[in-house]
Amino acid sequence: MEEKKSIWKFGTREVVYAAIGAALYAVLTYALNFLQLPGTGNVTMRPAIVIPMFFGIAFGPIVGFIAGFVGNILADLLSGYGFWFWWDLGNGIVGLLPGLFSALIVNYRAGKSILLAELSVILGSGLGMGLASVSERWVSGADWNTVLVANFLPAFLTDIANGLVLLPLLMVAFAAVINRSGRG
Amino acid sequence: MLVAWNYHYRNSPMDHIDPRARWIFSFAFLFAVTQTWNPQLLAGLFAIALVWYAMGRVSWKDARRGWLLISFMLFSMIVVNTIITGGGAGGVVPPGGQLVWPDGFSLFGRHLTYGLTVERLWFAISQLMRILGISLLFILIPYTMDSRAYGATFSKLGLPDRLAYTMELAFRFIPSLARNLAVTLDAQKARGFELEKVRGGLIKKIARIAPLLIPLTMNAILSSEDIANAMDLRGFGQRKRTWLFALQYHWWDWVLIAFSVVLLVGVTVLVHALGMGGFAVPAWFYTFFAG
Amino acid sequence: MPETLVLPLEVRGLSFRYRSRESWALRDINLNLRPGEVMLLAGSSGCGKTTLMRCINGLIPLSYHGEKHGDVFLYGQSVQKMSLSQISTRVGTLLQDPERQILGTYVLNEVCFGLESLGLPRSEMLERAGQALKRLGIWHLRDHETFNTSGGEKQKVALAGVLAMQPQILLLDEPLASLDPASAHEALQTFRALADEGLAVMLVEHRVEDVLAIQPERVVYMEDGQVTYSGDSAGLMDVVDYTRIKLPASVVMRRAKGQPLPEFKPAVPALNPASQPLVEFRDVRFRYTPDSPEILHGLNLSVRAGEVIAILGHNGSGKTTTVKHALGLLKPTSGQVLLEGVDTTKTTVAWAARTVGYVFQSPTQMLFAPTVREELAFGPTNLGFSKPKIAENVEWAIETVHLQDELPTPPLALSFGQQKRVSIASVLSMRSRILMMDEPTAGQDYWNYQAFMDTILQTPGFDAIIFITHDLDLALIYANRVVMLFDGQVVADGSPREVLADEDQLRGWRVLPTSLLRMNQQYFPQTGRFLRAEALSQFASV
Ligand SMILES: Nc1ncnc2c1ncn2[C@@H]1O[C@H](COP(=O)(O)OP(=O)(O)OP(=O)(O)O)[C@@H](O)[C@H]1O
Ligand SMILES: Nc1ncnc2c1ncn2[C@@H]1O[C@H](COP(=O)(O)OP(=O)(O)OP(=O)(O)O)[C@@H](O)[C@H]1O
Ligand SMILES: [Mg+2]
Ligand SMILES: [Mg+2]
Repeated sequence: MEEKKSIWKFGTREVVYAAIGAALYAVLTYALNFLQLPGTGNVTMRPAIVIPMFFGIAFGPIVGFIAGFVGNILADLLSGYGFWFWWDLGNGIVGLLPGLFSALIVNYRAGKSILLAELSVILGSGLGMGLASVSERWVSGADWNTVLVANFLPAFLTDIANGLVLLPLLMVAFAAVINRSGRG
Repeated sequence: MLVAWNYHYRNSPMDHIDPRARWIFSFAFLFAVTQTWNPQLLAGLFAIALVWYAMGRVSWKDARRGWLLISFMLFSMIVVNTIITGGGAGGVVPPGGQLVWPDGFSLFGRHLTYGLTVERLWFAISQLMRILGISLLFILIPYTMDSRAYGATFSKLGLPDRLAYTMELAFRFIPSLARNLAVTLDAQKARGFELEKVRGGLIKKIARIAPLLIPLTMNAILSSEDIANAMDLRGFGQRKRTWLFALQYHWWDWVLIAFSVVLLVGVTVLVHALGMGGFAVPAWFYTFFAG
Repeated sequence: MPETLVLPLEVRGLSFRYRSRESWALRDINLNLRPGEVMLLAGSSGCGKTTLMRCINGLIPLSYHGEKHGDVFLYGQSVQKMSLSQISTRVGTLLQDPERQILGTYVLNEVCFGLESLGLPRSEMLERAGQALKRLGIWHLRDHETFNTSGGEKQKVALAGVLAMQPQILLLDEPLASLDPASAHEALQTFRALADEGLAVMLVEHRVEDVLAIQPERVVYMEDGQVTYSGDSAGLMDVVDYTRIKLPASVVMRRAKGQPLPEFKPAVPALNPASQPLVEFRDVRFRYTPDSPEILHGLNLSVRAGEVIAILGHNGSGKTTTVKHALGLLKPTSGQVLLEGVDTTKTTVAWAARTVGYVFQSPTQMLFAPTVREELAFGPTNLGFSKPKIAENVEWAIETVHLQDELPTPPLALSFGQQKRVSIASVLSMRSRILMMDEPTAGQDYWNYQAFMDTILQTPGFDAIIFITHDLDLALIYANRVVMLFDGQVVADGSPREVLADEDQLRGWRVLPTSLLRMNQQYFPQTGRFLRAEALSQFASV
């Protein structure tokens, strides 16, 4: 395109996107707990995780990070769960990593863009949930086995399942919207 | 759907502590407690957390939901992982040790042996003190901090205005988005959509929320243009921001901050200079299982 | 005299083209505005009204980029040389949807937002915010959550936030869109009062007739980026196309006299009063949560085949709450709602959707599919229709709204008006017997909504049509029955003629009589029914 995307810009628009992303993530996480999504075994699904991923892809790493980090804080605040710094940080990274790829994505419908985005989802979830899980070693003294089996795998696997399925749907919809939202 | 913040003014001691001092203390505590497994230190820190929680004067009724969630987490972490499945407890607990039931026990007429050691049991108790201590501190926040205070607090703690304001704005969007979600759900139901009714595999099940997720997200993105305009038109981000929410340190806040520093530095020194970080089982605990 | 030399606002030879567009959104605009004046800016959708405002308040070129010629002067100073925060203390802008510009969670925070941005000390903020709140008579709301205020209150809160910046020029972009007639009238009185205090007010509005009530000093009409009329309101009546802008009924009648009449034949079946009701409300009471106030207080209502019902009522009277009951989206707290004789507590919404098609107000809150075709197939697929049946319904629905060419387009890429039509088609495709529409015309310009209502009413296949509206004229042109809700109760129910007979009564229900209503009442002896102004002109003797 004519203009190079700077992925580190954080102006008024980015403030709004970050805040909306965070609020969306919080509301969806909270609400979908009640709407009783079709369960898959005993793993709690969190389809809302796609929000920080998508906001990262669409608006860059800072917006993605805040959507995940602040969104997770707000979701926990809403349910009265307190404040779990390392998990908040992990969720932030789930949004940040796709954001690093955002400059490479111009056409949100293109197969190549979608593949790239999917890759970033796997990396981001691995890194983010990895960090959060490992923090359990120094926060709660869990052993490696617990970290891997009880913390990392369920979080990582459900996050990428949700991300891989839902992110392309959001990207295709966004491709249609982008022409109409025009502060260019 | 109703989304409600849990905060209301209780005129508790906590309501009179400056939010900045509270965050400073909470983080000092978090970094102090995660350094040590020493029984005396953990017990001391746990006692401080209990006092702190009491200062919030949050009723059981208010905080019940949060505690239920936390109990669930504690149960799976401590009872399931440490006690039942007997994980190695992060290399903290040395292998071997004294069995709790050296001769096994009988249950329903059958003789069972079970490898739980006294050391691991004490480790479970230490874990409980640690995580419960952290929970006691942080679970208070949603109940005792005014949603209007976040922006001013984080800004005064040194975060750039734009980031601090993002937090404030997110609070503004939450009830609107919750209502939009309810409207979208209704609109799709009126087209025969039933969220619960799904056949098919995992992918189909996940994709089932698309009719909710896509309108909600795209609508939010479209409205952000107006919102960004409204902010620009009222001079957002052009100068250093002042905040309507008044924050004021009192002498007790300085005492609390000093205490936080002492706590963090003290524990760090004790752990690193005097080697008080290590795991140990107090002698009296063995006497319970001496028989 | 220096005061007369330096005008608050002068626009000179202004042209603008958005970077992503080929055509010019504004072409050679010249305007000026004096203190104490209200200027009404009218024109159909897309003619450039919002773009002009953006040039004045500095969003163009600071946030929107493109090619610009000419200039805008605020008190003699070019906006080009000013920063957004400098402009913001001179020009206050109120956008269309208050929901989308309120930034604070509490009223006082909202009003202080701009003052916080200016970096003012707390004491001054409180003083200025207090002044603004008192000026608009909403001081009592200062500690309320913005989310919990009503539509009209939200508008005032947003305005207070703008006034706290102490601007001398006020730009208002369609501020009346979602207000009931009485609230709209009050809002207009407020704007007049502000102008009388010395502000220069520029008001964009489709509801021209309503604005004329506050006697704007100047009226400007735009078409396709150009000013085609600028002068007093009397002159406007003769130059603008009366099918594009809603003018007072007497003017339309005068000008339409002798013109050929557009044909209009409603397609709902003839009313049979003995038939079984399709929907029946029996003494319905409703509250949203056990400890929130009761919203509906014992509502009785039945809908039969052959009826076209307009539901009127003030903001918050319970219109949306009521129609949601018909579909079982809400279930009565006490009393019963029967759909074709079946209690809605015993059915699912999905089942009810076969009988009742419900179109929500905002299309963007329901469109999600990658193509229009899939969007239209969503409903019938959920209802378990067969493949050929679905294809047939989709075909029919898209033809009804005249969007055949857009079947492969993503619905989200269409314009607002087209999206609205897709959202209706996506309900039509279920071939429900009853069509319910919540404010089908809000946010669309006069020409578009008139064309759209004509099409729907002439489409065969519906046993009954129900629509909620704040536009009294819509009710009297299209409905054969009007239900008036006031504070959660049906206070009048009958033919438009009966329900709308008494002006004082109407005002009590916060509905204001319009010139079309008065004309229709005057000519009723000749016409025997209510008609649109063009049709009335045949009966007029002058
Ligand atoms: N951000 C934008 N980028 C590109 N083109 C735009 C943008 N905003 C508006 N336009 C185009 O400029 C023209 C004028 O639009 P504008 O929004 O000023 O019209 P309007 O008179 O305010 O219409 P409405 O009554 O629907 O609000 C239209 O053709 C519109 O599509
Ligand atoms: N989901 C909800 N939860 C609680 N109260 C609600 C909810 N929706 C509406 N209300 C309240 O119910 C009352 C009636 O609302 P409703 O939306 O039915 O009014 P309306 O007549 O459609 O108004 P409008 O003309 O503004 O659309 C209002 O006081 C409103 O605040
Ligand atoms: Mg406009
Ligand atoms: Mg309504």
